[in-house]
Amino acid sequence: MLTTRTLRLQRALVFLLGIFSPFLLSAQVRHTVSGTIRDQSSGETLIGASVAILNHPRSTVQSNSYGFYSLNAAAGKYTIVVSFAGFRNDTLEVSLDKDVVIAVNLSPAEAEMQEVVVSANRNNANVTKPLMGVQKLSVNEIKDVPVIFGEKDILKTIQLLPGVQSGGDGSSGFYVRGGSVDQNLILLDEATVYNPTHLLGFFSTFNSDAIKDVTLYKGAIPAEYGGRLASVLDVRMDDGNVKDYGVSGGLGLISSRLNIQGPIEKDDGSFIVSARRTYADIFLKLSKDTNTNRSSLYFYDINAKANYKLGDKDHIFLSGYFGKDNLGLGNTFGLDYGNSTGTFRWNHIFNSRLFSNTSLIYSKYNYNVSVNSGNNNIGITSFVRDYHLKEDLQYFVNSDNKVNFGIEVIQHTTSPGVISASGTSSFNPLALEQRYSVESAAYIDHSLSLSDKVNIDYGLRAGLFTVFGPGSFYTYDSSGNAVDTATYGSGQVVRNYFNLEPRFSMSYRLTDNSSIKFAYTRTTQNLHLLSNSTSSNPTDVWIPSSNNVKPEIADQVSTGYFRNADNNAYEFSAEVYYRYMQNQIDYKNGAQLIANEYVESQLIYGIGRAYGLELFAKKKVGRMTGWVSYTLSRTERRFGQVNDDSWYPANQDRTHDLSVVGIYKLNKKWTLSGDFVYYTGNAVTWPSGKYEVNGQVAFLYIKRNGYRMPPYNRLDLSATLQGKKTKKFDSNWNFSLYNAYGRENPYSISFQQDPGNPAKTEAVQYALFRWVPSVTYNFKF
Amino acid sequence: MNYHKFILFCAALLACSCKKTVTLKLNTAQAQIVIEGEVTDQPGPYTVAISQTVGFYADNTFPPVSGASVIMTDNTNGVTDSLTETAPGTGVYRTHETVGVDGHTYTLSVTSQQQNYTATSTMPMPVPLDSISFSQLSGFGNKQIDAIANFQDPAGIKNYYQFVEFVNGTQITKDIFVFSDRLSDGRYINETLYNDTSYLFQGDDVKVNMYCIDENVYNYFYQLIQSGGTGAFSTTASPANPTSNISNGALGYFSAHTVSSKESVVY
Repeated sequence: MLTTRTLRLQRALVFLLGIFSPFLLSAQVRHTVSGTIRDQSSGETLIGASVAILNHPRSTVQSNSYGFYSLNAAAGKYTIVVSFAGFRNDTLEVSLDKDVVIAVNLSPAEAEMQEVVVSANRNNANVTKPLMGVQKLSVNEIKDVPVIFGEKDILKTIQLLPGVQSGGDGSSGFYVRGGSVDQNLILLDEATVYNPTHLLGFFSTFNSDAIKDVTLYKGAIPAEYGGRLASVLDVRMDDGNVKDYGVSGGLGLISSRLNIQGPIEKDDGSFIVSARRTYADIFLKLSKDTNTNRSSLYFYDINAKANYKLGDKDHIFLSGYFGKDNLGLGNTFGLDYGNSTGTFRWNHIFNSRLFSNTSLIYSKYNYNVSVNSGNNNIGITSFVRDYHLKEDLQYFVNSDNKVNFGIEVIQHTTSPGVISASGTSSFNPLALEQRYSVESAAYIDHSLSLSDKVNIDYGLRAGLFTVFGPGSFYTYDSSGNAVDTATYGSGQVVRNYFNLEPRFSMSYRLTDNSSIKFAYTRTTQNLHLLSNSTSSNPTDVWIPSSNNVKPEIADQVSTGYFRNADNNAYEFSAEVYYRYMQNQIDYKNGAQLIANEYVESQLIYGIGRAYGLELFAKKKVGRMTGWVSYTLSRTERRFGQVNDDSWYPANQDRTHDLSVVGIYKLNKKWTLSGDFVYYTGNAVTWPSGKYEVNGQVAFLYIKRNGYRMPPYNRLDLSATLQGKKTKKFDSNWNFSLYNAYGRENPYSISFQQDPGNPAKTEAVQYALFRWVPSVTYNFKF
Repeated sequence: MNYHKFILFCAALLACSCKKTVTLKLNTAQAQIVIEGEVTDQPGPYTVAISQTVGFYADNTFPPVSGASVIMTDNTNGVTDSLTETAPGTGVYRTHETVGVDGHTYTLSVTSQQQNYTATSTMPMPVPLDSISFSQLSGFGNKQIDAIANFQDPAGIKNYYQFVEFVNGTQITKDIFVFSDRLSDGRYINETLYNDTSYLFQGDDVKVNMYCIDENVYNYFYQLIQSGGTGAFSTTASPANPTSNISNGALGYFSAHTVSSKESVVY
C-alpha cells in the first residue's frame, strides 16, 4: 500500500518537473565547479558559506546543509571568492573548460583579525535572497548571550529574535508569529523532536556543545519542510573533528557537560559524543526526610554522531540523540520522560550539479508516570513514534536556477495512554487504542534569478495524510456523546487528507544593499498536541488528525524591507505579516484529556489570525556587536463557544515585545554582554466577581482572556574571562546574573480566600526567578 | 492535585518562587443569580439557597435573594412541593412534602425578577461507604495526614461520588472532592482526600460523608475545582464558570444525591 502511494507521488513529481523544465534550459556551453566547504582546523563542513565569481554578485551560491556547493558558469577563467562569517575568505583561480571539483578549506579568523578580514567581503545574502522571515544563528553567535543558569541555550536565544516569543520566565518554549507551542516543527538532524524541553521547560533538549547550525523559518518556509503551521527550527549537529582528537566540557553549578570528538580515519571520517547531566537534586540528598532524600530531579542527554566518506561521491552519517528526565518523590511518585532520535543519512553526488541526500529517521517521545500510595499502585505510559524516509535532491542548474525536489514518508504511531494497575489498585488496567497514520509528501522548489534585481523562489508541497486502522473511530453528537462507532481493520484507510501547499517568495533589489521582499506560504498540520494548562506539561499527548479532527491550515503573507549598511556590518529589516489559521483546536470547559478514549469529544474547533510588524537591527562586527529586535503584533482566536463567537486575544498575544542584546569585547581577556527584554503581559482570564457555592468562594468569569498580566521586563548580565590560550589547552570562566535588577516578574497570578481575613479574597502573584547567578568553567584540549 | 504540588516543589528547587499579594484592577460584573439546591435520601426538609454575586474585592457576604418562587417536583411520583423561605430575607427556601428516594428524578424551578430557572437531577442508586482510613505522606518538609475513603464501586454502571469531610465537627469547605469511576469501574476504591489547606492530626475526629451524585453534578464540581486552581502552576489555561445543570445562565447547581457516612479518630 505504501509503495503504490510512493509511486503515485513519484509520478506527480515527474509531472511537476515537466512543468518547470522550460525554465531550466540553457543554451551556452557551461561548466560547473563544485565541492565541499570545510573548516580547515576541524574539517567540519560549513553550512551556508557563500561562493561567488569575483565582481559578479548575482552568481552567488551558498553551500547546502552538508557543505556542498555547485557553481555553474560559461566556459572561461574566473576568480572565485568563498566566504563565511567568522572565517577568512578564500580565493580560487578556476579555469572552467570542463567540470571541476574543488574542496575548499576556510581557516577561522583570529578574534583580532576578524574585524579586518571578515569585513572585507561580508555576505549580503539577507538582502539578495528572496527567502524572508528566516533567522540563522551559529553557536558562535549565541555563546556570549547571557542565559539563565549559565547554560547556553539556542531555544532561549531565539526568543530574543523578532516574531519569536518566550513561553514564560526561564522557559525554553516559544511562540512564532501567533502560533502555538506545538505549531513549531523542531528538527534535530531532520528528526522531529516532540518535546524540545527538559525539567518542566527550563532547559532545552539542545546541548549547544553538539550543535553546528540553527535556522529558524517563520515567514517563507521552503517546500522541503512541512507538517507544522507556524515555523521550522532546523538544528544540525556537529559532524566531529576529522583532523584531531579533542575533549571539551564545562562545569556549572547545576549541570556539567563533556564533549569528545575525533577522526575515525583522518580526513575521511569522524565521530562526536556530547553528554550533559544536571545535578540540582544533590541538595535533596542532604534532607533528613527519607522520602525527600530518595527523591530525584535531573536530566541527562547524549548526542552522538559519526560520519564516513565512501569515496568522492558518497558520504554517510549516523547521528542520534537520547535524553531522559527523571523526577521522583521517594517511591510515592515518579515521572520520567524523554526523546530519542536516530538519523542515518547518505549523501550522494550524482554529478557536479545534482546532489542527493537520503535519510532514514527514527524519532520517539515517551513518558512514564508511576504513583504508589498505600495499596494504590498505578502506572501510565504514552508515546509518539515516527519512522521516516526522506529523499532530497538538489539540482544546481546554473547560477540563475536551482531546483530542490524530493519526497518523504513518515509513519506515525501514537499511543495516547496505557494504564497498568496492581490488583489492589483503585484503577482498572486500560490500554487506549494506538493510532496509526502515514504522512507522505512530494515537493519541488525552484529558485530563479530573473534579473540582477529580481529573484524568486516558488514551490509546491503536496501532502497526503492517511489515518489507518485498526481501531474504533467515534462520531459525536453536539453534546459530545459518542453516537456511532466505526471499526476498521488493520491497514484499512479511515481517512485521507490531501493538501497542496504553495510556497512563494520574491525579492526586488532596490540598490546594492537594499531590497524589498514578498512571500506567501501555506502550511498544514496533522499532528496536534493536547495541552490545556498554562505551562507545557511533559504528559501532554499528541493526536493525529482523524474523522473528527481536521488538518490545521495556515496561510501567511508577509512583506519587508531589508537594508545593510557600512559594507554589511549592519543589517536592518522591517517585516509585516498576516497569518490566517483554520481548524484550530481548543478544549471544552473542564476537558478530560488524560486517558480518555473519547478525547476528541472534549475538543472545540475555531479559527485564528495573527498580524504584526517586526523590526530588527544587528551589528555584526567590531568590538561591540549585538541586535535590537522589536515586534508589534496581535494574535487572536475565534471559537463559536467562546466569548459569544467574537475574536479574542490568544494567551500569547503580546502587543509589544522588545529585546536588546549587546556583546562587548573589553580586551583579550574579558568579554562583557547583556540583554534586556520587555514585553506586554499575556492575555489572561481573571475573575470579574465571586459567589458562594458549597460553602466556599467561587470566582465569576465573564470573558476569556479579558485581562492582561503586568508587563514583563528583565536585564541579564554576563562576563567571560578567557584563560591563557595555548595550542594544547583553552579555558574560560563565565559569570552571569539573570534578572540583574531582581524584578519579580509574575509567572502566574491566582485567586484565593485571604488566609488572614476569611471575609476577603485576594490575588496572589508567583514569581520564579530573581537574581539567578551562575558560574561555569569551560575547557577544551 | 498532588502532581501539581510536586511540580511546584521541583520549580522551587530551581527558582525562588517568590509569592506576594497583589492588587489588580478587576471589573465587577453585574450581579448574577446563584442557586444551590439539594435533595437527599436522608430525612428532609431539604433546602435551596439563592444568592447573588459580588465584586472580587467586596467582603465575602453574598446578598440573599428573597421572595422567589421555588418549586421542587418529584417527576417519578408527581409530588409538587412549593418551598418557603425559612425566614424573610434569608434567601434559604425549605421543602415541605418532598421525600428523597434513590432512582427518582427531581425538577427544581425558581422564578425571581421575572426570570425562570429550572434544573433536573436524578438521584443515583446508593453506594455504601465502607470505612475511612488514613495515609501519611511525607516530603515537602512535613508529614501530612489525609483521610482515605474506602468503598466498593458497583460494576457495569457509571458512578460519580462527592466527599464532604468534617474535622472535629467542622466541615472543610476549602477543598471539594469528587471522584468518577471512569477508570475504576467495579474496583474496590481507596480514594485519598488530599487536603491542600488544612491538616489532620492524630486524635482528631474525622467524619466523611460520601454522596452518590449524577453526572451533571459531578461535571459541575469537577470544573469548579479546575477553575479555582491556585498555586504557581494553576491547572487550566482558561478558567471558566462551571457548566451548571440550571437553565437560563444561573450559577450554581441542583443535586439529588444519596448520603453514606463514616466517622473515625485519626490514628
